[in-house]
Amino acid sequence: MTRPAEALPTQEMLINMGPQHPSTHGVLRVLLRTDGEVVVNARPDVGYLHRGLEKIGERVTYAQFMPFTDRLDYLAAMNCNCAYAWAVEKLAGIEVPERAEYIRVIVSELNRISSHLIAFGSFTADMGAFTPFLYSIREREIVNDLFESVCGNRLTYNYARIGGVSADLPPGFLEKTKEFLDYFEPKIDEYNNLISYNKIFVHRLANVAVISAKDAVAYGLTGPNLRGSGVKFDLRRDEPYSVYPKLEFDVCVGTGERGALGDCFDRYMVRINEMRQSIRILRQAVAQIPEGPVMAKVPRLFKPAAGEVYFRSECPRGETGFYIISDGTTNPSRLKIRTGSFVSMNIFETVTKGLMIADIVAVIGSFDIILPEIDR
Amino acid sequence: MGLREYIGDIVEAVVTTAKGMRITARYGVDAGEEVTQQYPEERREPDERFRGFLHNDIARCTSCTMCVKVCPVDCISLEAVRGADKKMVLVSYDINIGRCMYCGLCVEVCPPKSLGHTVGYEKAMFERGEMVLQFVHEDAAEIKARVAKQVAEAAAKAAEAAKAEAAKTAAPGTAPAESEKKE
Amino acid sequence: MEALALKLMNAVPALAGVPLWVMTLLVMVVVAVILLVFALTFGGVGSYVLRKVAGDIQARIGPNRVGPYGILQFLADGVKLIMKEDIIPAKADRFLFILAPYLVFVGAFAAFVVIPFGVGLIASDLNIGVYYVMAVTSLVVIGILMAGWASNNKWALLGGMRAAAQIVSYEIPVGMALMPAVLIAGSLSMQDIVRSQGGLLGLFGWNVFHNPFTFFSFFLYFTAAQAESNQTPFDLPEAESELVSGYNVEYSGIRFAFFFLSEFADMFIVAALAAACFLGGWHVPFLRAEALPGIWGNLLSLGVFLAKALGIVLLMMWVRWTLPRLRVDQLMRMSWKYMVPLTFVNLLGVSLWLLLFRGKGIPQLIASVF
Repeated sequence: MTRPAEALPTQEMLINMGPQHPSTHGVLRVLLRTDGEVVVNARPDVGYLHRGLEKIGERVTYAQFMPFTDRLDYLAAMNCNCAYAWAVEKLAGIEVPERAEYIRVIVSELNRISSHLIAFGSFTADMGAFTPFLYSIREREIVNDLFESVCGNRLTYNYARIGGVSADLPPGFLEKTKEFLDYFEPKIDEYNNLISYNKIFVHRLANVAVISAKDAVAYGLTGPNLRGSGVKFDLRRDEPYSVYPKLEFDVCVGTGERGALGDCFDRYMVRINEMRQSIRILRQAVAQIPEGPVMAKVPRLFKPAAGEVYFRSECPRGETGFYIISDGTTNPSRLKIRTGSFVSMNIFETVTKGLMIADIVAVIGSFDIILPEIDR
Repeated sequence: MGLREYIGDIVEAVVTTAKGMRITARYGVDAGEEVTQQYPEERREPDERFRGFLHNDIARCTSCTMCVKVCPVDCISLEAVRGADKKMVLVSYDINIGRCMYCGLCVEVCPPKSLGHTVGYEKAMFERGEMVLQFVHEDAAEIKARVAKQVAEAAAKAAEAAKAEAAKTAAPGTAPAESEKKE
Repeated sequence: MEALALKLMNAVPALAGVPLWVMTLLVMVVVAVILLVFALTFGGVGSYVLRKVAGDIQARIGPNRVGPYGILQFLADGVKLIMKEDIIPAKADRFLFILAPYLVFVGAFAAFVVIPFGVGLIASDLNIGVYYVMAVTSLVVIGILMAGWASNNKWALLGGMRAAAQIVSYEIPVGMALMPAVLIAGSLSMQDIVRSQGGLLGLFGWNVFHNPFTFFSFFLYFTAAQAESNQTPFDLPEAESELVSGYNVEYSGIRFAFFFLSEFADMFIVAALAAACFLGGWHVPFLRAEALPGIWGNLLSLGVFLAKALGIVLLMMWVRWTLPRLRVDQLMRMSWKYMVPLTFVNLLGVSLWLLLFRGKGIPQLIASVF
């Protein structure tokens, strides 16, 4: 005899996956309405880390804003530095020496590796495997040492300048980079053996939060999130900048190897494969880098002509775009930053309908968001 | 699901688990894999380019205020008065290392290269007020008083010299009236 | 217990006048205290070993500041937990909140009664040994559910519900996986099961080598045991990264310590059962432990048993630090669609084997040829 549904009233739970949570990769608040373990609605609430970076941009000069771009995505600070530098150089029509461009590419790709290592480590830690995180941190320390020898800091580099980079590579840097690449390449296989293809891990991620290619483009996703859905779009290949046209690499896309195309596992594997491609780019760049100056002649009091520019570059978390309006003075009139993590929050609510609470953590981890980038 | 898929699931789970366990076993058994640096007994020496706390060599500083202008967070404050020889004399030079973001822009622009980074990174304090590094060790009021005295002396000497000049160049008769006019 | 009490009364003339029941009661209390001290010490030392093993696997040093090689770390942790403020949330159900940790600990600790530590070293050789352990360890479900509900916290509630579902679901595979050992011994009593292994065949007398089905059954038991004691990959009730510590999120101080200790006690129980039912219990290889003179038999068998149980505990820790966590529906699916059918098929296989070969295992068959 079945009990009629009205006789057993159930209620939806409103859970606050609050700003303080081990797995939200920062101060992200997600309002979960769940029916037991199944999520009915998950609304992200961002803004807990808003520091008014864009307003600060209007208050300081172009050169003074560079350290603030470090704090935009602190795990890929070199990429953000270089993106800003390229934007301002496009605005003012400054030609950067070739050695400086190669240096920028080298440090950007090294930072891509270390950012993806953190993405990989924290993602697997959220999934319950605590060990790979420690291994990725160990690898990252070597990259930090390299960066410390170049610019003096281990996290907030402030290395790029408008017109080049602040200092030339120290002697021995290229050899040490090659050593790191030789040391690191087999480690990726070790991570794949340890966790990537582990049946439990695959089952946690396969067929979870499937984003079709059409949806990914419609919602404006960028970077590995977009490529995980099968869309072969990489700014380094499709809107090339700097010296990327001279470097050979493959664009990694999700292949639906363990589930539907565009699920969490695809986005995860795109990042693992991108690390391999970064190693490839680095080997070429280290071999091809020419001698020469590292800084163009830029006037001390830098006043670009009035105008506007939008420049986007491929950062580890997606496309970081700078939209700068200049009115001919030393400070920008408007400095707008578009980041990859912010647009990932766009699709969050749609894609989490019907998932379980444990899957919310998987989705946040697979999008690889970082809150300072979202909140600026 | 069919029987083959069922058995395949079990086999794959066991095989991938065994692969993972072999890797962790290797780490567990091999003691040489530990990468911990036991701070503070084992300390890592920072690189020579490390951007640690700032240090200003007062003897070389020319009070040009470039560092103050370029700092994005306004953590440097300096006060200077013009001395007797028309050069600026530094009265006080403070860096608030609590506000400083160690970006290095001030070091880059310093013309006499008196401002530089040290490799220090350990300066925990109990109060925020203590986080200001003062590089001029004399009392500000004393310096100002001393400089003011020097300027006054120099001005007096200059006036005397001017008076002597005027007395020399002007005619002997009209000298007192001229010098009175000049004063 | 009574026999021991009688022996003591006869040995020490001063106790001759004491009535038997008082003596028995005294002996019971002393044995209980010894077991409690063992359980608590194991909880402490186990937590230290867990952290050291974690450090080794994760390319770092574990605790090494408190005492030589960090051995006294668990004492420091214990003192810290005792000194912490006891916080009970404002709207929490006070009585249930306070009762929950004790229920969980009792559920885990009561099973210590039938663990065969050595020759004649068992608190009470109940003739329903295995059955008693299965029954009593189910008490932890009530405690965890109480903790989850009484905390007045949605995360704790989720953790409690998950734990209830998980532990109840994995009771069946655990029980069914232990049945082959019971069938071979022909009795539920723990000492009988241990005695049915070993002997002069040494290592090969162990149940795990008896026939292929018991070999398979050992691994099934190990997996289900990992789930019973809430270890990764089955640690959803206390998933740190999702539920922010699950059902014990609102507990602090000594109450949290109780949950923690009962988790380790649980680990020891399942490991001890594995050692007793599959790995030959307290049998010293190639010796007859019962025939050894005086106290040597007891001590040696105790040492061997502890070594085996602690080896299984280390294996559980190794698996814990390698694998990620299962989601709750995958966990239920694994239990009901994989573990339960496999253990049933296994049981059938063992029964058929015992019928066919008249209770002899592969080593015994080989030995009977010579």
